[in-house]
Amino acid sequence: MTDLQQAKPSPSTFNRRKFLATAGAGVAGSSLLTMLDAKQAPAQIKGTTLRILQWSHFIPAYDTWFDSKLTKEWGDQNGVKVRVDHIPHLELPARMAAEYAAGAGHDIIMNGSSILTRLYYKSLADLTDVYDAAGKKHGGWIPTAKALVEAEGRYYGIPLFYILLPMTYRKDLFDANGLKAPDTWELARVAARTLKPKGHPTGIQFSQCADANLNWRSVLFSFGGAELDPSGENILIDSKETREALKFAKALYDEGMTAEVFSWDDASDNRYLASGIACWVHDAISAYRTTEDTNPDVFKNTFIGMEPAGPNGKRVNTCAANVWMVWKFSKNQQAAKEFLTHMVDTFSEGMTSSRGYNMPYLNGLAKKPMPVIGTDPKLQILQDFPPIVAFYGYPGPFITPIQEVVNLFVLPDMFTRVARGQSVEDVMKWGMGEYRRIFAKHKRA
Amino acid sequence: MTPASLQGGGPEPTARAAVVSVAVPLRSRLMFQSQTSRRLAFGYLLLAPAALYVLLLVGAPFVFSLYLAVSDANVGDPVATFIGLENFRSALEMDVFWIALQNSVIFLVVAAIFKSILGTSLAFLLLQDFPGKKLIRGLVVIPFTLPIAISVLAWKWMYDSQFSVINWVLSRVGLIGQYGTDSWPIWLGDPKLALLACIAVNVWRTFPFSAIVLLAGFTSVPLEVLDAAKVDGCSFFQRFRHVVAPMIFPILMIGFLFDTVFTLSDLSVVYLLTQGGPANASKILPVLAYQIGIQAGNLGRGAAIALFLVPLLAPAMFLFLRNLKRREY
Amino acid sequence: MATAQTLRQKERRRHLWIYAGLTPFVFIAVFPIYWMLITAFKQDPDLYRMDNIPFWFNLAPTLRHFKILFFQTNYGAWIVNTMTIAAWVALITLVTAVPAGYALARLRLPAAENIGISVFMTYLVPPIILFLPLSRVVAMLGLQDEWWALVVVYPTFTIPFGTWLLMGFFKTVPMEMEEAARVDGCGYLGAFLRVVLPVSVPGVLTAVIFAFTLSMQDFLYGLAFVAPGDQKPVPVGVPTELIRGDVYYWGSLMGAALLVGLPVAVLYNFFLDRFIQGITGGVGK
Repeated sequence: MTDLQQAKPSPSTFNRRKFLATAGAGVAGSSLLTMLDAKQAPAQIKGTTLRILQWSHFIPAYDTWFDSKLTKEWGDQNGVKVRVDHIPHLELPARMAAEYAAGAGHDIIMNGSSILTRLYYKSLADLTDVYDAAGKKHGGWIPTAKALVEAEGRYYGIPLFYILLPMTYRKDLFDANGLKAPDTWELARVAARTLKPKGHPTGIQFSQCADANLNWRSVLFSFGGAELDPSGENILIDSKETREALKFAKALYDEGMTAEVFSWDDASDNRYLASGIACWVHDAISAYRTTEDTNPDVFKNTFIGMEPAGPNGKRVNTCAANVWMVWKFSKNQQAAKEFLTHMVDTFSEGMTSSRGYNMPYLNGLAKKPMPVIGTDPKLQILQDFPPIVAFYGYPGPFITPIQEVVNLFVLPDMFTRVARGQSVEDVMKWGMGEYRRIFAKHKRA
Repeated sequence: MTPASLQGGGPEPTARAAVVSVAVPLRSRLMFQSQTSRRLAFGYLLLAPAALYVLLLVGAPFVFSLYLAVSDANVGDPVATFIGLENFRSALEMDVFWIALQNSVIFLVVAAIFKSILGTSLAFLLLQDFPGKKLIRGLVVIPFTLPIAISVLAWKWMYDSQFSVINWVLSRVGLIGQYGTDSWPIWLGDPKLALLACIAVNVWRTFPFSAIVLLAGFTSVPLEVLDAAKVDGCSFFQRFRHVVAPMIFPILMIGFLFDTVFTLSDLSVVYLLTQGGPANASKILPVLAYQIGIQAGNLGRGAAIALFLVPLLAPAMFLFLRNLKRREY
Repeated sequence: MATAQTLRQKERRRHLWIYAGLTPFVFIAVFPIYWMLITAFKQDPDLYRMDNIPFWFNLAPTLRHFKILFFQTNYGAWIVNTMTIAAWVALITLVTAVPAGYALARLRLPAAENIGISVFMTYLVPPIILFLPLSRVVAMLGLQDEWWALVVVYPTFTIPFGTWLLMGFFKTVPMEMEEAARVDGCGYLGAFLRVVLPVSVPGVLTAVIFAFTLSMQDFLYGLAFVAPGDQKPVPVGVPTELIRGDVYYWGSLMGAALLVGLPVAVLYNFFLDRFIQGITGGVGK
């Protein structure tokens, strides 16, 4: 009932709470408080408040662990009051923009799926020391981590975990029809072609949603396609490989999917699998978990495979990245940095709480057996993913024009257009036009 | 009793002032002038809180967003420079901008047509007397009172490509085929249906409101006037056209104006249902502005897209409201 | 006797026609509500089976979704926040829009018409842009991440509406009443308070109900200004904490919407007659 009491608008509690919140968070706007803060020695974090904004994790148990165990224990040890707020990952950019405009808000802010580090870096605290120290301590960062947080040679964010979108398939259906496990995209297509007439199509989102951005990039990159060169200067979309990937997607759609996929959002493939219809989906393990929780019969026969290989045997899994940043306006950067270090150090505990959802960016933390996925026979294969992980812009960096490309769903729209019957060349021309237009605008600015 | 009050319903200031000035000597006229200034002072005092509130919290931010629209501001760069109409130019260069503009207009017009048809018929029915009227009225206003951000989610579930209850019913009735066949509509995935599906949610939510506004209009027509017209031998349609319509016109227009403004700036329905997909088929201006301005961080271009219609709408609205107010007297 | 019976029959037939005419409307309006209601009590596996009849329970009904709402989220606090915010917003709207509407309608201010129109035109400013500068205002007031922030912000869209509504309404109060009062020794203020206001109660109530409902329709401002779990209002808290990544808590989402929506609908219906009177007075004359 404390919540309810807190919410009462009695003037006295309001003022006290307002004062605490203001003083604690070090919100700008009161010169007196700023002066008080300035007097504190920077290393002195005892008695401060640390405010963290992050998403609502797919696995509620993770939030419980994070909010009432991890932060609480660390806070008690260091004499810091930690407060964690949650909003959905897709809405984090709006909140971030609001905090930027206000010049006040949380100390630590998380980005999921849309990584805005490079866009905001001038307003973010330099976390190079934390990044380097964590790398040293835990066997180095995976190669693709750097591009998420680097700007002008410094690091402005700490990647904590990424989310894999592996191949999840119905072994019973595959076995009954003499199909080989979907270890290549070609086998996956054959399976869908065989099983669709039997009432078990597949589906990948041909729509404007986060999973569409991720899944079609996995296909594109596994086919040998590329988005940007490592310098971030040149757009590499216009290629033979992209055309092959587009043709493949068209065939996959025609032979193995229904028109439903045009309406799908991030949750639809979960339901498709859980309802027992899908022969396979390419989705985060929330699909696997949803099935576990809602349809035990289907779950029994649901298996996870290695990322399917493209025609030349290449495997790339485009993952949803998650990065933690510290605002420059934060008055409590010291505590923020120490907490981030602690967060990285306790990664394994977090991976357990997330039921194997969170995957580490640090090589030392990716050693087998990893928590949860190392002990679950069906999930063990996920431990082999770290070397093939990629993010938006691959093999180039995740720079701001790519962010706009992602937010405008240019790449999934290319696949959608082809699936809807436009010619590959027309779509290629349209897509390149969009990429060029967006890049040109960012150069001009 | 003063001459003014005897005038009985003569609120015209000049007329009354004239009466006063004729009836009273010079000393009183001076008094009247001080009374005028007192009246004005009182008036502005009463106006001040609302005016200040709006000026500070809408006016000032509005000026700021105008500034954004002509600058190269992005979310991360504190220093923005003036770039003139560049943001508007680059908006015009985008295919998707034109699609969004077109969709916004379609959205507005189609939704308005359905809302007025449904709203008018519902209002006519609710005008009658019958047992259980209050209950039924209570039921039909529910869509309007549910928080929009949540009721859209219920629709998302009803439009689900697989578990759509709408399709389930249509399929059982035999209007569409089985799940998995081509005639099973994919409400949010078919470019021809996606925008319509979003419009349907907007109509569902607001037609009860249209009905109430119209009901208010009908109730405002005095029965005697109608009876008089009936006695004069006017037919139902004549009565409607010459008596009812002119009287409810201002109400209709105000309702229409509010609805237009809210519909044009509302992003929640489309954003939560389709994000503007598939392949931009249901993209509308506010969603595009949000995706470019906020999610991708290009404040300047986002502001330009969001404000694009203002120069077109503002003068239209101004003239409209002026005219409307004239009619009221 | 016979005529009375035929009259009654005629009346009953008329009612039947009306009910028949209303059925589609009630169906359109209520079906999604029914759907939400039943979803709120269904077990999750019951939602994800295609062979089931969706309109009824195929597995036993459950209260689990409501347990999640009340014991695993701050739903209780969200309801209290929503109601207190709405009440404050209504109050602020009242004390600003009533005098403003009166001044614009009755005191023959030289620029009244243009001021009235400008107030209305503030609706043209899109919230998706407005929320950025507003977040600065909220931070300067030290209200960031408290529901008080929304009490400050929501009147930006309720005041213009309220002012317009009341402006029209005050116009319908006969001028003589007011002038008679002034002659009897009341000043402008006295005439306003003692004569005009009492006869304008329906209009004022309308403005209040409207402010109340409008303040429950926002999502973006709440999202941008209030992040802490115990400070959110229902329309923000529910979608932000019951959609987890790609998992929707359908049952809890629907239950949460209905628990706040239905009482407001009852309240609304209760005031509807006054409301109708309100807008009629507002723009009809």
